[in-house]
Amino acid sequence: MNLLLAAESCPPENPNCFHVPTLEELFEFAPLFGEGLFAFNRVSLLYVLAAIIVCALFIAALRNPTIVPGKLQGIVEGIVGFVRDQIALEVIGPAGLKFVPFLTALFMFIFVNNFYEIMPLVQLPSTGRMAVPAFLAFTVWCVYLVVGAKEQGIIGFWKNALLGIEMPAAVRIIYIPVEFAQLLIVRPLTLAIRLFANMMAGHILLAVIFIAANAFLIGFHGEFAINFKALPIGLVALAAGPAMVAFELMVGALQAYIFTILAAVYIAGSVHADH
Amino acid sequence: MEGDISAIGQGLVYGLGAIGPGIGIGFLVGKAIEAMARQPEAAGMVRTTMFLGIAFVEALALFGFVLAFIVGG
Amino acid sequence: MNALLLAAEGGSEGGSGLSIILPAAAELVYGAISFVIVYFVLAKFAFPKLNAMLEERSSAIQGRMEEAERTRREADEVKSQYQAQLGDAKGEANRIIEEAKQTAESLRRDIVAKAEAEAQAIVSRAQNEVANERDRALQELRSEVGALSVQLASKIVEKELDPAAHQHLVDEYIQKLSRTN
Repeated sequence: MNLLLAAESCPPENPNCFHVPTLEELFEFAPLFGEGLFAFNRVSLLYVLAAIIVCALFIAALRNPTIVPGKLQGIVEGIVGFVRDQIALEVIGPAGLKFVPFLTALFMFIFVNNFYEIMPLVQLPSTGRMAVPAFLAFTVWCVYLVVGAKEQGIIGFWKNALLGIEMPAAVRIIYIPVEFAQLLIVRPLTLAIRLFANMMAGHILLAVIFIAANAFLIGFHGEFAINFKALPIGLVALAAGPAMVAFELMVGALQAYIFTILAAVYIAGSVHADH
Repeated sequence: MEGDISAIGQGLVYGLGAIGPGIGIGFLVGKAIEAMARQPEAAGMVRTTMFLGIAFVEALALFGFVLAFIVGG
Repeated sequence: MNALLLAAEGGSEGGSGLSIILPAAAELVYGAISFVIVYFVLAKFAFPKLNAMLEERSSAIQGRMEEAERTRREADEVKSQYQAQLGDAKGEANRIIEEAKQTAESLRRDIVAKAEAEAQAIVSRAQNEVANERDRALQELRSEVGALSVQLASKIVEKELDPAAHQHLVDEYIQKLSRTN
């Protein structure tokens, strides 16, 4: 607590004074231009940039596709092959082939937005803002409801989902509202929150680690002063930094994969009655 | 740093919310590793299912994480 | 550290928690536009091209395999043809050798026969000549001996015999001689 008291003793007028960033400072950005619905801030810039990156990658790789693939085309084919074989075909089956573009778009868009978290000069996971996770979860929600209605009929879909499994009547009384809520509310909510909260937590984690390393190694007042009491903590934080970055890279890739595979699982439940 | 009781509430919400999923994920991964060790040829399928299970369980912990902000707010 | 952060989160502003976890309207707009663009670029541009290329690739592989199969079959055909030709050539060679052997054999036989015949002819001619010579010599000898013996006899006997009786005597004598011979 001595260290923190030292921080407190810094006069608040000093702009170099140590202070823990608030969540607003970490996640909310003033618009660069525009206002109201079209206020364009840093997160919006990252979204648009992600779209440009993904589109550019796919266009560059597949503008003139050759039978013997080049390096870039090989990478893109690998990504598409992964989504097609490991996600669409594995989870949905042959009917999943027509969802491959949608699932690939989900995977790539989420992955790039997650990757911002550890990308030098950016270091802000734009999926750590609720906008894109919420929108993607909403899109998946629409897709699996529409597909379910199309494949099984609106009534058939709900009948299969709520009454499809044999169970005692007493259990069914509980099961029906739970399953109803799960289909309409819980699925999209968990889908959005899982991605958003993982990336937000990751960003907070990295921010804490690096702020700690900075504060404990360099000093709380913005000017360099070696503090032997603080040094061990600073070194631990510094050592933890790269490990955390690697961990967050894994988390980012894993979350993109999990979002995509869950979308596929939900769509599969709509395509086949027995889910 | 003046005393704010909501900070304790936030901590409790997330901390308590993480207990169940923590135990759950522990069980889940342990069992999955057991299954992979017994049948290495089924490892791919087990791993996919394990990640799905983790995703479902983890969502509960993340609810706690998000709820902490709501409580704090 | 966590308590510190959470304290800051809970901080003096208040009412911030919910705004952090709800989507900001403006970001939602840009995020939605971005994802829709990504989806349409992938679905309308990238995947048709990719699928066309994959189709082309599989047909190309199919074509290559068929071509390889055809080439293999052609090679097989050529090989069997070649082998047949080789067999023909071997037979031909054998036949030629056989023929040559036969020719040589018949030539040899001819030559030997001719040589034998010639030798025979020479031998018989020589025999003939020898026989003729002998006959003539015998003849000459006979007449010579006759004349000589007549001379001798006439000289010894000094008496002229008539030539016919004479000749008869001589012949008898020679006959006797040749019999004893």
